Amino acid sequence: MLLLLVITVSLKAPIPLPSSAASVELSGVRKIYDEFVAVDDLSFGVKPGTIYGLLGPNGAGKTSTLRMVIGITAPDSGHISLFGQPFERSHLRRVGYLPEERGLYRKMKLLDHLAFLGRLKGLAGPEALKRARHWCEQLGLANWNGKKVEELSKGMQQKVQFIGAILHDPDLIIMDEPFSGLDPANAVVLKDVLLESAKNGKTILLSTHRMDQAERLCSSICLINRGRAVLEGDLGRIKAARGHSHVQIKYEGDSRFLQERRLVESFNDYGNYVEVRLAPGADAQELLRAASASARLTRFELMEPSLEEIFIEAVNGSNA
Amino acid sequence: MHNIWLIVQREYLERVRTRSFIVLTLLIPAIMTVMMVLPAKLATLGQKAQHIVLVTSSRQFGETVRKHLLSAAETSNENQHGSETVARRAAPRQDVIDVDADPTESKRTLLRSEVASGAIDGYLWLTDQAIAAGKVTYYSRSLADFGESSFLSRELNQVILFARLTKDGLAPEQVDQTLKPVKVSSVRIERGREVKGSGGGKFLEVAVMALLLYSAVLFYGISVMRSVLEEKNSRVLEVLLSSATSTELMTGKLFGVAAVGLTQIVVWSVMAGAIALPSLAMNPAYSDLEIHPGVLAAFGIFFLLGYLLYSAMYAVIGAITTTEQEGQQLQFVIVIPLVISLLMMVTVVRTPNTPAVVWMSMVPFFSPLLMFVRIVVQTPPLWQIVLSALLLALTTAGTMVLGARIYRIGILIYGKRPTLPEILKWLKYANA
Repeated sequence: MLLLLVITVSLKAPIPLPSSAASVELSGVRKIYDEFVAVDDLSFGVKPGTIYGLLGPNGAGKTSTLRMVIGITAPDSGHISLFGQPFERSHLRRVGYLPEERGLYRKMKLLDHLAFLGRLKGLAGPEALKRARHWCEQLGLANWNGKKVEELSKGMQQKVQFIGAILHDPDLIIMDEPFSGLDPANAVVLKDVLLESAKNGKTILLSTHRMDQAERLCSSICLINRGRAVLEGDLGRIKAARGHSHVQIKYEGDSRFLQERRLVESFNDYGNYVEVRLAPGADAQELLRAASASARLTRFELMEPSLEEIFIEAVNGSNA
Repeated sequence: MHNIWLIVQREYLERVRTRSFIVLTLLIPAIMTVMMVLPAKLATLGQKAQHIVLVTSSRQFGETVRKHLLSAAETSNENQHGSETVARRAAPRQDVIDVDADPTESKRTLLRSEVASGAIDGYLWLTDQAIAAGKVTYYSRSLADFGESSFLSRELNQVILFARLTKDGLAPEQVDQTLKPVKVSSVRIERGREVKGSGGGKFLEVAVMALLLYSAVLFYGISVMRSVLEEKNSRVLEVLLSSATSTELMTGKLFGVAAVGLTQIVVWSVMAGAIALPSLAMNPAYSDLEIHPGVLAAFGIFFLLGYLLYSAMYAVIGAITTTEQEGQQLQFVIVIPLVISLLMMVTVVRTPNTPAVVWMSMVPFFSPLLMFVRIVVQTPPLWQIVLSALLLALTTAGTMVLGARIYRIGILIYGKRPTLPEILKWLKYANA
């Protein structure tokens, strides 16, 4: 996979992208419901074999975007291409989709249900059943094969839904908030499957509003707010561009130093520690002195901004 | 096509496999059979063989009456129907009739005590005087039921009439000839050919169509609506839409549920046919129930198309509502055209060729019933039948596509029922 990809860092003006082998390519996509602009002039590309995060606050347009990629709705303007070709329904057989609003036929038996979803994606009946059995075993559902969906717990239903999305071994996996509603143990199971898939060359496009997850999983992100992209590209590069402008401080005692406008542009108290964004031109050493003068420090760490900080900063910036 | 087939399969198998479907399919005919057979059975159970004494002035006349009554009770007049006949036929009872030619007061007292003690069931005071007075009385412990007393008076009248006429010197054959009833039968002329029949059979064909269409639409149409609502509310729709188009989903669902309904109807028809046809065939009122293959074909086509159209309308209702209660409030949209068709049926049967009727039978929502009635009553020109079926098929397809569109956009909106302007706006989204 030595194909070069053109990534648009500035998204203000859509640059016509040459057709490449990107798994998903959006250029200048716009979607309007009535008067409400759900997605506005959005462009990004997802490299094969990577995990790409679509981030943004609630109502930013993540789900609207994913629905257009999967062909449930069509963009009002702009283009979407899958696997380097303009969108076609036949591509959908190579795509697996996990919608944010989970849903299964409650009265259907688990294996029947999975086989049905697999066959809709083009698998032959016996093959679909075989794979469904295999995955149920992998994810600890083997004892529930013959049960009806309504007899399963919420978490199990989530897993069933997840299996349904990957049963046909799609090249592109699209997941809308895949971890919402999962307990930590199951979230880890799901994450492992996703990482394994990416290692096997599958492309994963997921949306989330949980920055910590995106930070751990994704190699590239697109941050959208109010339907527009505010930040897009390789996560490592985005963070590096921000430099070591943040400090994590764990302390006991007086928090007066946080009010030093000269040193601290903003801070975010996480309870166990505070993440401080240094004022432009401020020296971290000076902050250390100010902090140690009034409080007892147990940690003082100069670091790249967390994705959450970047997110809040970007969203505030674009809302302003 | 592949997707539609998969969806049809799922809809069909998931429904047919449910316990409620199997129970309902088998239980309803069983209940119907019990309801038809039980009353007759009960009636015969209550009727033991009767022991009656006939008191007449002469033994010879008594014997004549006895014979007549016994044979009449046995063959029980094929021309009659009613519970009395059914009961008698179901279990021929061994009635005993004694003749007593000694009409004295002491005899009457004796018979009365015998009735009271249960030695006999009753006695009939049929003396010449009583006949002359035109007043014959049957004495028994219980009042004879209506069937029993009308049977007695009918048969006695015939015997007495026979006796009076023979007494006046007529030969028995002449009397038989005189008493022979006249039967009126009607002959319909269809395209210059005589078609026999009293109209009972035609009426039956039309009634079966109306009943089947109405009940199939109300039973299974609503399950189309329910299944659309289920997919929307359980949010499984969005997963499906990532594999199939909403038109595929809608088409598959419609045909799948329709097939379930048809399965049940076929099972019921076969069962009903096995039970009801023999007795219908014996009933002379339906002697013209000779179903023409053309009529059968028309029945199939118009029933199927009508069923699909109304089911598609239910699907649209399912697509624009969010709960079953809301859906049921909108049902009038479906019931009104059905009821109008039912009301129009009478007019169509009487005057199948007035312009108003001809055009009504072209309107898709009425044509399933009205065009079929016209075909049965007096076959209309072929072009009218074809045009009517074509319009019906097109409207059905149109309704299906409309439903599919609303259905797809419906996933974006939950919670409240859209207003009509909103629905119209949805339809305008060319690609949602």
